[in-house]
Amino acid sequence: MILLNLLIKVIAAAVGTIAFGAIFGVPRQYYPYCGLIGGAGWAVYVILWENLRFWSEPAVVFLATVIVILLSRLFAVRKRCPVTIFLISGILPLVPGAGIYWTAYYLVTNKLAEASTRGFLAVKVAIAIVLGIVVVFEIPQSVFRRASKF
Amino acid sequence: MDQREVLDVAMEAGHILLENGAEISRVEETIDRICRHFGVESENAFVLSNGIFLTAGNETEKRFARVKHIPVKGAQLHRVAAVNQLSREIEEGKYDISQIRERLRQIKVQPGKRKGTQVFMAGLGSSCFCLMFGGSLQDCIATFGIGLVLYTYVLMLGKHFSKIVENIVGGMLITVLSLLLARLPFGMDMSHMISGCIMPLVPGLAFTNGIRDIADGDYISGTVRMIDAILVFLSIAAGVGFVISIYHQLTGGAML
Repeated sequence: MILLNLLIKVIAAAVGTIAFGAIFGVPRQYYPYCGLIGGAGWAVYVILWENLRFWSEPAVVFLATVIVILLSRLFAVRKRCPVTIFLISGILPLVPGAGIYWTAYYLVTNKLAEASTRGFLAVKVAIAIVLGIVVVFEIPQSVFRRASKF
Repeated sequence: MDQREVLDVAMEAGHILLENGAEISRVEETIDRICRHFGVESENAFVLSNGIFLTAGNETEKRFARVKHIPVKGAQLHRVAAVNQLSREIEEGKYDISQIRERLRQIKVQPGKRKGTQVFMAGLGSSCFCLMFGGSLQDCIATFGIGLVLYTYVLMLGKHFSKIVENIVGGMLITVLSLLLARLPFGMDMSHMISGCIMPLVPGLAFTNGIRDIADGDYISGTVRMIDAILVFLSIAAGVGFVISIYHQLTGGAML
């Protein structure tokens, strides 16, 4: 049951990533890779956070971001195209969209404690994404060139 | 070969890249590469998030200066990929200047996805993300519909508004629709619907590019893009919050 749930969510993430990639104008031949990247990132999130409650949500988002960007850079080198193509749509599932909703919701319903909890969580998640992106982009391009040969 | 032509072509390549969502360092690098390949050594490109400054000139090379203002538009990443490919091929020596100019002209008019397709993709993406956040089947179906309405609004009306108003109204629109649907007896959950529907509005491109620009040391452009992203986030939240607040007033604070 957990496995089926995981599978559904990962497929949804993959298809959703491709759909938003299409809006951003990602060329059609890269759709499978976009889907794979978005799905992989969300799989990390679902397994580590939703199922195992590993560490904390921002930490898990950081790990998921690292996976997304490692894969994006790898595919970018392999397919000889700009990394932006994979990155933008792949990162989208991790962006705290639901966090915005909950923060706004608690703010206007005057539950300020919950609002600040949610709001700070969204900010922490955003910072985790920032750190993930910055860290993986420090790895020199030559590493990915070597890795893509395998 | 005329130095001026080289710089014009380089500027045009940079223009297409910047307009369609490339990061600053890629724009600068591409302009540099094209110029170096054709032997313009004194070239100097300074790129901001909405403009390119390109100059050249020293003892041996003629003076050249051009500033181009490039307003922020919707990104079409296939154009970034195409210019990137072109710049690779230029370095391999496949083209002369007039051929490059022709290729760039073609890339510039390369059609994006049709509007209908974009609207459909927004619906599909929203409902997938709703499912991903744990929404039920009813939620997903509803989200698909709301996603279609939302993106039709974004393409038809949204472009006429300022970015702030566009996203406030967008946030209001999805909240009103979700509220109405949540009141129907199909057991739809408002939070899941809204979480999914928000995604087409979320500024993923500005956010990601902003971070990368700052990481590259392009602080001015990075900051501008980050502020752009934060502004959009806040506008969406304001729109959502506004409608929920009115709803609470009308229903006397009943839980949703």
